[in-house]
Amino acid sequence: MIEFRNVSKTYSNGTHALDNVNLSVDKGEFVFIVGASGAGKSTFLKLIMHEETPSSGAIIVNDMHLEKIKRRKVPYLRRTMGIVFQDFRLIGKMSVYDNVAFAMRCIGKKGKTIKKRVPYILDLVGLKDKAHNKPSELSGGEQQRVSLARALVNNPAMIIADEPTGNIDPEMSYEIIELLSEINKRGTTVLVVTHEHELVESFNKRVVRIEGGRVVHDSKDDDTMIAI
Amino acid sequence: MNFSSFGYLIKEGFKNIWSNRMMSLASVGVLISCLILTGSAIMLSVNVSTIVASVGDSNVTTVYLDDDITELEAVYIGKTLSGIENVTDATFYPKDEAILAYKDVLGEEVFVNMSGDDNPLPHAYHIVMADLSLYDQTVEKLLSVDGVNSVSSRSDVAEKLTSLNTLVTMMSFWIVLALAIISLFIISNTIRMTMFSHRFEISIMKSVGATDSFVRIPFVIEGIIIGLVSAGISVGALILLYDAVIKAVQNILPFEYVPFTDVMWFIIIAFVAAGVLVGALGSLLSIRKYLKQEGNEILGW
Repeated sequence: MIEFRNVSKTYSNGTHALDNVNLSVDKGEFVFIVGASGAGKSTFLKLIMHEETPSSGAIIVNDMHLEKIKRRKVPYLRRTMGIVFQDFRLIGKMSVYDNVAFAMRCIGKKGKTIKKRVPYILDLVGLKDKAHNKPSELSGGEQQRVSLARALVNNPAMIIADEPTGNIDPEMSYEIIELLSEINKRGTTVLVVTHEHELVESFNKRVVRIEGGRVVHDSKDDDTMIAI
Repeated sequence: MNFSSFGYLIKEGFKNIWSNRMMSLASVGVLISCLILTGSAIMLSVNVSTIVASVGDSNVTTVYLDDDITELEAVYIGKTLSGIENVTDATFYPKDEAILAYKDVLGEEVFVNMSGDDNPLPHAYHIVMADLSLYDQTVEKLLSVDGVNSVSSRSDVAEKLTSLNTLVTMMSFWIVLALAIISLFIISNTIRMTMFSHRFEISIMKSVGATDSFVRIPFVIEGIIIGLVSAGISVGALILLYDAVIKAVQNILPFEYVPFTDVMWFIIIAFVAAGVLVGALGSLLSIRKYLKQEGNEILGW
């Protein structure tokens, strides 16, 4: 699903964001990416979404080689992933329904399909009753669920959540991860970037720690070691 | 791309115009002035060439006699003139008649003291030639006749009109070119402002996998609408303007003008094409920058 082979990224200003990263995430996995700010987590995500290109190494996401992907293919790469942002990124003047429908319109889905799919997804994230509210009328947790609904609506193979709990209450945070875990159980690969240790610890999932641009710890290796 | 998303994109294009109406209005204004100027130049050119064509066809040449020639002397000269080779007809055009024609056009008052012997005009003959290719030789012979002062052919007028037409065409070409560049610039700026206010949506569109053309279409439509509205208003304004100018000129100098309906379809098609082209090009110019950017770059974070 995601594979990093000897990936390094140096920005044009000389910052070494990632240094020889090797990592693979299989289909259907749930992975927490943890690390302090500036450790290279956002660069890691940007490389997956192809907002940045690696300085060296190979990145394979959903069978696409990102180090040499053509510009016009990038939208199709992004359709294989749903992205949840820390700051929700909801369009303020649109209703909850329209925000979710927007993601479908953007990839040219038919009006009929949209009308069927959006209520289903809103129901899934528990926001059926808030469909006609504006994002500003919702709590942080609810807004993040709208953002999650938008990420899910095009039925992507994986969900990438960038600090999804950064702007919401702790109890709500737990709910969001719970929801992501539910989605994961239905077969969607989930990648959650966070720095909230407690939250990570309360779920028994694979944890990858990035520090100084390197993968310093991967709980998957622990399991392997234990198995040995 | 299917029909329902195309409808959605067109709607977005209209919304863009409304949400950025002051700049849209400015773009429309500049584009209109550009189109009206072009249209005026076209109409002038069309009329001048029609006049030139009609004047060039007639082979009537006017021969003016010396000022002090009396009517009786003039009749004798007329006989000499009609005897010249290639001259098929020489019609006497007395100065009394000439001044009457001027009075009709310019009004009685101007000519109060100019009747009879005070008439400042000379007697003249209207000469018809058999073969216009011998024009220059024949004019030479006409001039050599005693008492003939000058020969004014109406092809002089044709020549002057043609050179005026060339001058006007040249000038309007450069003015129109400059205005076209200015309108392109203003339209692309207008759309850049719409795009700036929509940069958040654009960043989301890109993150959910919208293709470049999908992101582009509403803005191109915005440009095309600006172009179409400008073309429509310009055609209307040109009809009114042409009508007013023709009326004013006809009062001073009646001539066979080209009715607007003769060139209407040409003007409409040319205006619409120019408006759409400038509008679409303007929006494509400004959107390039956003399509190249990714994620937070678009938002300027």
